[in-house]
Amino acid sequence: MSDPVQRVVIVPATIESIDVVQEEFAEWWAAVGESSSETRFKFETAVVEIATNIVEHTHRAEGSAGRGYSLELTADATQVSAVFSDNGKPADIDLSTVTMADVDDESGRGLALAIAALDSLDYRREGGRNVWTLVCAR
Amino acid sequence: MTSIDVREADGGVVLAPTGRLTVVTAPNLRSAVADRIAAGDRIIVVDLSATDFVDSSGLGALVSCLKSARQAGGDLRIVAPTEQVSMVLKMTNLDRILQPRASVADALRD
Repeated sequence: MSDPVQRVVIVPATIESIDVVQEEFAEWWAAVGESSSETRFKFETAVVEIATNIVEHTHRAEGSAGRGYSLELTADATQVSAVFSDNGKPADIDLSTVTMADVDDESGRGLALAIAALDSLDYRREGGRNVWTLVCAR
Repeated sequence: MTSIDVREADGGVVLAPTGRLTVVTAPNLRSAVADRIAAGDRIIVVDLSATDFVDSSGLGALVSCLKSARQAGGDLRIVAPTEQVSMVLKMTNLDRILQPRASVADALRD
């Protein structure tokens, strides 16, 4: 079995960081060499939604000064995974209650979209940080 | 990275976002559509054939722009979404209210 393909991205918690995450994601994906575009699109969609959630939560809770997050992308033979870690305040969230917004709503789709796109999404508070783990089977 | 090309057409206006339509760029689409509605356009065609990626913020902007167009007595129609965009439209059920047209000509006609 080949070695896992890994990439670590560390960015400030700003809206512009989403572009950086997507550019890093594209380079990592090229190195992974996965041929399924469906897997890519689902996983990238979820990664962008969680990154956006972290940035927006950070801004609402405390402003972005001095706040950042890290993203660790890993691919092995059976799955692709992403671990986000940020030093913001605890995200008060219960993923089991998330539902898709109605078609007329202008917001409220992000987490539901991530959950639908992934095989698993987990949030926990660990060592004073918010840790999100995203997994898609290959 | 993302730009929005705007061109007048017979029967409406065509906006073509290139690249990604995400939380970074969705406000640009909202303001471009608001400008065109304020300028008197009623049929807003959003050509998604060069839009590689849309997130929930981009979807929210499309819903918002659709509502604005309809409130002004017009409509918003999307054209030729790429693979990722079709996927998220379907996953969010938005393909029910944003039914993609095959071409800009089709969208301008009906």
